Amino acid sequence: VSASPDVIVVGGGVIGCAVAFELARRSVRVMLLDKSLPGRATSASAGGLWPVGEAVGLGCGVIYHASRKEVDPSDAANAVGPTPLPDVFRDFLIASNALFAPLAGELKEQTGIDIEFAPGAGLLFLVFDERERCFAESVCRSLPPGLRLDYLSPHEVRQVEPRLTGKLLGAALLTGEHQVNPMLLAEAFKRAAVKHGCVFRPDTRTTALRRSGDRVVGVEVGQQFYSCGTVVNAAGSWAGRLAATIGLELPVEPVRGQIVLTETLPKILNACLSSASCYLAQKAHGEVLIGSTTEHAGFDVSVTPEAIGALCRGAVQAVPMLRHVRIKRTWAGLRPGTPDELPILGAVKGVSGYFNAAGGFRTGVVASPLTGRVVAQVVCGEQPCVNVVPFSQDRFAASNGSAITPHSSTPAGAAVSEP
Amino acid sequence: MAAAIAATEAGLKPLVIDENAAAGGQIYRRSPPALRGDRRSPRSSPNGAKAALLQRFDSHRDRVELLTGTTAWAVFPPRRLAVTDGTSSKTIEPEHLVLATGAYEYLPPFPGWTLPGVMTPGGAQAMVKTMHVRPGRRAVVAGTGPFLLVVAEQLRRAGMEVAGVVELAGTHEAIVALPGLLQHPTLLWEGMRLLYRLRRAGIPVHRGQVLIEARGNGEVQEAVVAPCDNAGQPDRSRARTLAVDTICAGYGFVPRTALAQLAGCKLRFEEALGGWVPEVNSDLQTSVPGVWVAGDGGGVAGAVVAELQGTLVGLAVAHDQGALTQAAFRSRREPIVRRLRRMEHFRDVLDRLHRIRPGLVDLASAETVACRCEEVTRSEIEIGIAAGATDLRTLKVMTRLGMGPCQGNMCWPATSRLLAARTGKPVEAVGPSGVRPPIVPLCLGALCPTGPGQPEEDSP
Repeated sequence: VSASPDVIVVGGGVIGCAVAFELARRSVRVMLLDKSLPGRATSASAGGLWPVGEAVGLGCGVIYHASRKEVDPSDAANAVGPTPLPDVFRDFLIASNALFAPLAGELKEQTGIDIEFAPGAGLLFLVFDERERCFAESVCRSLPPGLRLDYLSPHEVRQVEPRLTGKLLGAALLTGEHQVNPMLLAEAFKRAAVKHGCVFRPDTRTTALRRSGDRVVGVEVGQQFYSCGTVVNAAGSWAGRLAATIGLELPVEPVRGQIVLTETLPKILNACLSSASCYLAQKAHGEVLIGSTTEHAGFDVSVTPEAIGALCRGAVQAVPMLRHVRIKRTWAGLRPGTPDELPILGAVKGVSGYFNAAGGFRTGVVASPLTGRVVAQVVCGEQPCVNVVPFSQDRFAASNGSAITPHSSTPAGAAVSEP
Repeated sequence: MAAAIAATEAGLKPLVIDENAAAGGQIYRRSPPALRGDRRSPRSSPNGAKAALLQRFDSHRDRVELLTGTTAWAVFPPRRLAVTDGTSSKTIEPEHLVLATGAYEYLPPFPGWTLPGVMTPGGAQAMVKTMHVRPGRRAVVAGTGPFLLVVAEQLRRAGMEVAGVVELAGTHEAIVALPGLLQHPTLLWEGMRLLYRLRRAGIPVHRGQVLIEARGNGEVQEAVVAPCDNAGQPDRSRARTLAVDTICAGYGFVPRTALAQLAGCKLRFEEALGGWVPEVNSDLQTSVPGVWVAGDGGGVAGAVVAELQGTLVGLAVAHDQGALTQAAFRSRREPIVRRLRRMEHFRDVLDRLHRIRPGLVDLASAETVACRCEEVTRSEIEIGIAAGATDLRTLKVMTRLGMGPCQGNMCWPATSRLLAARTGKPVEAVGPSGVRPPIVPLCLGALCPTGPGQPEEDSP
């Protein structure tokens, strides 16, 4: 058994693997602890790389908004979509997305894994009615110079995507928004990390963090204690529970997303599609992934016939031929959601030896390359290549003082309870 | 059928859902109406004793609601059953859900097993029994278990030439097992009668031998068979070929637990019962209240046990519903439990004789396809395992094994044994394959009702 590692990364999803990779290539002695729990977001992500699309609320954003609209009809009159996320996060996603093209080659070279980075026609937001058209046009207007969202006529839409329904008023096209295989991406990050000396421990559930005074000194895995200089919390939807074991209030809540995957089809879609009821992406092996609900259902990873039905109806409405296509499987994942939909990254005031790589919500995959990089940079004491202050956990603590509660030394064995 | 009969006799009105065109399942499978009574087509003889259950079921038909041609595609916890007739879907939420889903055949991959002409004994049986079609001219039936003898005899009756039965268990082991099998003289007698018939027809039973390869150009032309030791390791130097156009291969059965898994029932691993089975109490209720399991779906034990278990569950549900008094339930339950207990020892001996042997893991060669849905070869799996994919999830991500429509039903029982062998873990530590709805093919359109009030679509 080697000496204790410098850094322990808790969580082997796409974020934890990316952080471990960036640390290991900086010659940090890093250990990655993973326990694959039902509902991990990496296994349920569409793998959409839609930095601008997600920032302006296409993809899950608009679906989430539409689902809330049903609860509050007075809201419906004004807008179809949500308000865009802050520019600083949009720019973070754009910068992260730009890393994929070189990363795909690098990971392939180092691990032999093809992350299925697939440049396609872009992300197409489908417009079925006037309200949606207003929304799409307002999104077009809100974009700064340099970012383009083209509003296509029905005729132009069919040229991009001939299988689409003829009932569209039009569509908004974001070129340069592609997709990847999220599970292979995580696996490739992990393998590359191991290649650079990272120790990977599968099937190892971190039950608690341990602190001594204001310092985090290691992690507990049941009765075992792993000592280390620094802990990175990349525990996805479980990050809040993990932080709670040292009295940290990390506002991460699981947001369930149910998805439907079709049988393998010949290539029928050129673009990733997004509408008010679902999004669709045809994956490298020909399956069409149809997502996704946004539900607060705790750690319950069940699928419901109602949600699956709604996704199928949305998909058939957009691409009628899918009516005759078989569903291969359906499942649900838990997005690590935060109150302001932004990730929680970096150090926390008043506690040392602890860093967050948490709250990936619905953009964890596209954000993973840059998240890995900036978290590794702050862990190593380097100047991060982008400003991470807006993503600090301290933004939630501003109103109620210190993030860490004064007398919260964790009792031994205080476990992250089972979902 | 047995559970429905027992429940009906206690005064309940059960709903029976069957994916086939008629109730009967695998054992009492009926031909489609168009093929019934066609005397010119090949067929096996109807078994008089076994037809009794069918007749009893039919006589209760007016008190049973029967949905045929209807397949359960999911259970949403705890007991909401989703069913489809192929074009639409609905959910049903009963107070009690009895899962009588049966089993499917276990066939570890071997070179040539994807050639046309290779099928499971059950597949061949369905062809002659139900569809009245001969799968070929000359067959070999290989694997392990008494079912091989049944199918060999049915193929012979249907007019096929049977080149032989290749049985993994050796002669010595079979003789040692005989006294134990005397626990159930009727079943032993049935087996002996089958053996006698095969012998009279000149069909040899090769014991202690294993089918190691199917060969042929585009279709089966030869079966390669070799003697093996008690661990199932073939002695390839003594291999020989049989000229056949049909190979029926099967090594027992795997319980269909998908619906139980979706309902959230706890599973346990029991090699003798075919692998992963739902945990049940003495009345066959699973860990999920109101979800019961009867027959091979709860552990492979054959038709006799299945019928007894079905009756037991039917009575237990009726008792739970207040349709049977405690005393009436006890008095009817007692003889069934006694008969089940008597079967236990017989099954133990039979299961031990026809156990899955470790040598089967290594029948596949590097090029052998292990996952038929995604065409993943054995060597791709070995490479994945060597690279650290030592659990199902990682192996799936790396190789796409089990990512096809069957969700790993076909490949996981064999692959989990391979993974266990390579990692030194017991098979149960490797775990069952995950189940996700739908467990049968379901079109998106089945979930998109059309008609008044529904959004219109283009014609495709």
